[in-house]
Amino acid sequence: MTILVLLNLILGSVIIPLKEIFSFFTGGETSKFVQDIMVPYRIPKVITAMLSGVALSVCGLQMQTLFRNPLADPFILGISSGAGLGVAIFVMGFSAFGITISSSFAASIGTALSAWLGAFGVTLLLLAVSSRLRDNSSLLIFGIMLGSVVSAIISLMQYLSSSSALKVFVLWTMGSFSGLNPSQIWVLFILIMCGFALSVYNIKDLNALLTGEAYARSLGVNLESTRRRILIATTLLAGSVTAFCGPIGFIGIAVPHIARMLFKNANHKVLMPSAALLGAAIMVFADTIAQLPGQPGVIPINTVSALIGVPIILMIVLKTRFV
Amino acid sequence: MIDSTNIKAVLRLENLSLGYDRIIYRDINGSAGYGQMVAVVGANGMGKSTLLRSVAGILKYHAGKIEIEGKSVEDYSSRDLSLKISYVPSQSPRTKNLSLFDMVSAGCYSRSNWLGVIGKEDNEFVRSAIKMVGLEQFTERDSSLLSDGEFQRAAIARSLVQNSTIMLLDEPTAFLDIANRITTVKLLKDIALRENKTIIFSTHDLLQAIKLCDKIWVMGHNNFLEGDPEELIEKGAFDTMFKDSSLRFDPKLFTFL
Repeated sequence: MTILVLLNLILGSVIIPLKEIFSFFTGGETSKFVQDIMVPYRIPKVITAMLSGVALSVCGLQMQTLFRNPLADPFILGISSGAGLGVAIFVMGFSAFGITISSSFAASIGTALSAWLGAFGVTLLLLAVSSRLRDNSSLLIFGIMLGSVVSAIISLMQYLSSSSALKVFVLWTMGSFSGLNPSQIWVLFILIMCGFALSVYNIKDLNALLTGEAYARSLGVNLESTRRRILIATTLLAGSVTAFCGPIGFIGIAVPHIARMLFKNANHKVLMPSAALLGAAIMVFADTIAQLPGQPGVIPINTVSALIGVPIILMIVLKTRFV
Repeated sequence: MIDSTNIKAVLRLENLSLGYDRIIYRDINGSAGYGQMVAVVGANGMGKSTLLRSVAGILKYHAGKIEIEGKSVEDYSSRDLSLKISYVPSQSPRTKNLSLFDMVSAGCYSRSNWLGVIGKEDNEFVRSAIKMVGLEQFTERDSSLLSDGEFQRAAIARSLVQNSTIMLLDEPTAFLDIANRITTVKLLKDIALRENKTIIFSTHDLLQAIKLCDKIWVMGHNNFLEGDPEELIEKGAFDTMFKDSSLRFDPKLFTFL
């Protein structure tokens, strides 16, 4: 983990020697140049990457258990589509009415807020129907359908919107960890810690859910409130990450499976912390690759996460039995 | 209502009507006493699972009463109900890499702390339950690798650890071979005797039910009957089980003719 973080700090369009990084952290002499890169760019980015990795993995783990489906993750339920719709309305809707947001700070806050609202809206809708739907697979189908409808609306908006607004939106969908200022990182940190705390509180019920819904109910699990708590934790985690960094796919599905394979223990007391750590490590790794060491350009983080995640997902589909 | 045994009833069903959207079975009057072993028999689709799910509080019933120790099932909180009744579905989902110990200790749900950590007493309780169902050599192993018969016994151990007054089991032997069927039902009988638990299970194995159970609930084609096995045979209760009225239960040959 430490090595990965160090690597992430060292590598980039400009390579900073390890010695400089050590002296930066130990308060030794560093050049102004190194400070200019580390403080506003590298350090915020690596923190954001770690937070997102933790959030998406813990979120995916809970959804997989709740829906008894190895391929469930925050994006399948339409939570990211909801966030996408929020951003689409903000970016493309406003420009369609001739409103332009001049300050970039207002734009980034607006994007984040609208994404969060979109994600939250979808969760509220899921909560509203979850008590009416008899089982989790119907909820899963509902989520997928919702995602499709939202995607259709977004496509329609893309078709109608100006090219500059479209560009802003497409850039957001590619996902990125950079460009967050310290106050935004604090907001992200607090939201994710709240979500994580709730997730830890969910561990007991998640373990009970492994026994099957009918038996869990007979154990005294209040399924409605458990479902609600898991969905709220999920929105806090995935919604916040999507709001600030864009929709990042595949990590939520893949990391819990890697944790299962490595630790060979289905107990969430083991699985949740290990998925959180692995998620952080893999995300930092993905981000390191995305920076194309030594090159000026950056690959969208979604491209890298797909390259890492898809082989694992295919392996799951082809090989393993989940239950 | 027939209650030949003078054991105090722990569970009472009165004029109960069952079903999902519409009523599928009416006028059930029955009871079960402490420490009794009760078999629920009836043709496929008659509503055995529906009855068990309703008693377990998982499914709402249409009319009538289900009372546990004099209080309606609907009036229990989910936690209090879990102390009275445990429910084992005919097939429980298997989870890969979940140790047998962790699987069985899930039964301690209502007694464990907020993180699901169980106390020392419960730890021993889990081990003794695993021993009782004869799986102690597998305690730390992956529960998903158990055979069907072993897995069903593990599910019974989990329900035992829940320590409820009544254990409901929906066709516990449905997916088992003959040897495992006998072991499983004998295990249930053993639990009823040793732990003084009321065990209610649905089954298609009428002969085993007649031999081992204190009481049988017959979900007949026309009406619901209950009683001890001999009494029911005398009354020809098993003849009402199937739609085809030419099927008669022969008490001497112990089979349907």
